[in-house]
Amino acid sequence: MSHPEAVSGGRPIRAPELLVPAALGGVLLVYFALPFAAFLTRTGTANVVSGLSTPQAREAIGNSLLTAPVSTAIAAVFGVPLAYVLARRSFPGKRLVEALVILPLVVPPVVGGAMLLTAVGRFTPIGSVAVALGVPLTDSLLGVVLAQTFVAAPFVVITARAGFGSVDERLEQASRSLGYGPLSTFRNVSLPLARGSILAGVTLTFARAIGEFGATMMLAYNPRTMPTRLWIDFIAGGIDATVPIALALLGVTATVLTSIQRFGRFPSVIER
Amino acid sequence: MTLELEGISHRYGTETAVDGVSFGVASGELVALLGPSGCGKTTIVQAIAGHVHPTAGRIRLRGQEVTDAPPEARHVGLVFQRSTLYPHMTVEENVAYGLAARDVGRDSREAVVSEYLGLVAIEEQRDAYPSSLSGGQTRRAELARALAPQPDVLLLDEPLSALDRALRERLRDEIARIQRETGVTTLFVTHDQAEAMALADRLVVMSDGTVSGIGEPRALYESPPTPFVASFLGRSNTFPATVIGSDPPMVDVGGGTVRLPRMDGRRSPGDRITCHVRPAALSVRSADAGTAADESEPSLCGEVVRVTDVGRHYDVTVRAEVGAELIVEHTGAPPVVGDRIVVALPERGLTVFGG
Repeated sequence: MSHPEAVSGGRPIRAPELLVPAALGGVLLVYFALPFAAFLTRTGTANVVSGLSTPQAREAIGNSLLTAPVSTAIAAVFGVPLAYVLARRSFPGKRLVEALVILPLVVPPVVGGAMLLTAVGRFTPIGSVAVALGVPLTDSLLGVVLAQTFVAAPFVVITARAGFGSVDERLEQASRSLGYGPLSTFRNVSLPLARGSILAGVTLTFARAIGEFGATMMLAYNPRTMPTRLWIDFIAGGIDATVPIALALLGVTATVLTSIQRFGRFPSVIER
Repeated sequence: MTLELEGISHRYGTETAVDGVSFGVASGELVALLGPSGCGKTTIVQAIAGHVHPTAGRIRLRGQEVTDAPPEARHVGLVFQRSTLYPHMTVEENVAYGLAARDVGRDSREAVVSEYLGLVAIEEQRDAYPSSLSGGQTRRAELARALAPQPDVLLLDEPLSALDRALRERLRDEIARIQRETGVTTLFVTHDQAEAMALADRLVVMSDGTVSGIGEPRALYESPPTPFVASFLGRSNTFPATVIGSDPPMVDVGGGTVRLPRMDGRRSPGDRITCHVRPAALSVRSADAGTAADESEPSLCGEVVRVTDVGRHYDVTVRAEVGAELIVEHTGAPPVVGDRIVVALPERGLTVFGG
């Protein structure tokens, strides 16, 4: 029963339900888009092609294109199994393990780099052995990979874990009862069904790795990657000097993102 | 016995889920494992399939001990309450999945798949993905996948519980037909006593992690071994009585003497016992008419406290003078609330529990 006078007081206007949240979200979207637009207007003033053809720029691009995929692969090879165990088993100390996975995400990358230095730096036990063997873990491509893996690997663990968690364990049990061992079951059932999440995690890990700056600065200022090169260009030549490398970095990331999504046939990195 | 369980116990942490469960399923038999939710049925299924390693006890399949064997080394077909069809495979690929693991050649695989899709009557959905199947087709496809590798035992864990009533009854008959045609040894887990009684050759009734009764459905229904079985298999009336003699077994119920067909256990005159009887086995008549007609007939006097029309009959609730409420299924004109009434006890329908 409604009160008739309440209705007759004025024509009720039906406002779109999502008006308020959409307006609030729109503010953030504008804030995201504005720097992009402002930066891209600068591209006209800088000579991108000649900026990218310098030996320093080419070296940086080459180093990034080498190290980021390697870091991503390492993160996936060790991170996906870890994600599977975390999704399937509870064990004493699991909370601690989960906290450890999150740790590189919440520690500022520069601090992470400093911590890595204390663990694998040139004068630490591990670092000195590596130097003696001719594979120094700092100021080398290996150092870049170590820094990128440390900072970026949690993404693949967290997303893959959510993916495995959404696969009903009974699907795996059915596979075992149909005659498949744990490994074949993982390959035939768990992996394909969690594929979307794993690819999303790999994508995020790659994007994070190729853009890694803070930890890389601490652990391997040399050889230069695209982000460290960009910093040096900025110090030397101001904002316009960074445009070529920044555009190249954006381009590489966008290309890899779209191709992984296309190849993996999943709708969106976040959605699922 | 194709499947034998011997003293199976399982604890999850400190929680005892199953405690000393033993039973067997003979070749070609359909046994229903019946009990309320949380009684340990699913743990039993998981233990037989090998997904749970029981804390104690032994499991044998075709005479071979498999307690420590991994699931893939046992020949067990499994159908769960919720669908476990692989969403990234077609119906055909799902059914063929188990055949590939059992070294069925690629050529014969297709014929076997066709045979089992025909058995469960979903040939037309062969190339469909599980997401496009109806609830009934999903169940059928899962049955085909579980049966195609010709398992030693088929385990059905509440396979119909998630379906609506009409579909449930239709599929129940289908499962009976498929089981008959394949002759597969089957353990059917359910909490629905009507489903269990309709399908099973034998029932294993569980409560609180232990076996409460094993037997043919009709025998368990008519002479339940425990109060739990009595109440779980259908509505049950209980009332107190006193033992008069044990040979022949005689009890005193509210001043009348009842001779029982049998009485298990040692009981001596004066023991207080509990009698059980089904509502359908009781009848009522008016207290003033014909009370003197048959003094020897065992009966209880009481007052009608409630009459409920449930369609096929009336449920007449009588508060008996011995201090128990009895429900009587009554057809014909019902008595009126407040009537003094006599409830006639049939000798054959009475069962006695201790205590």
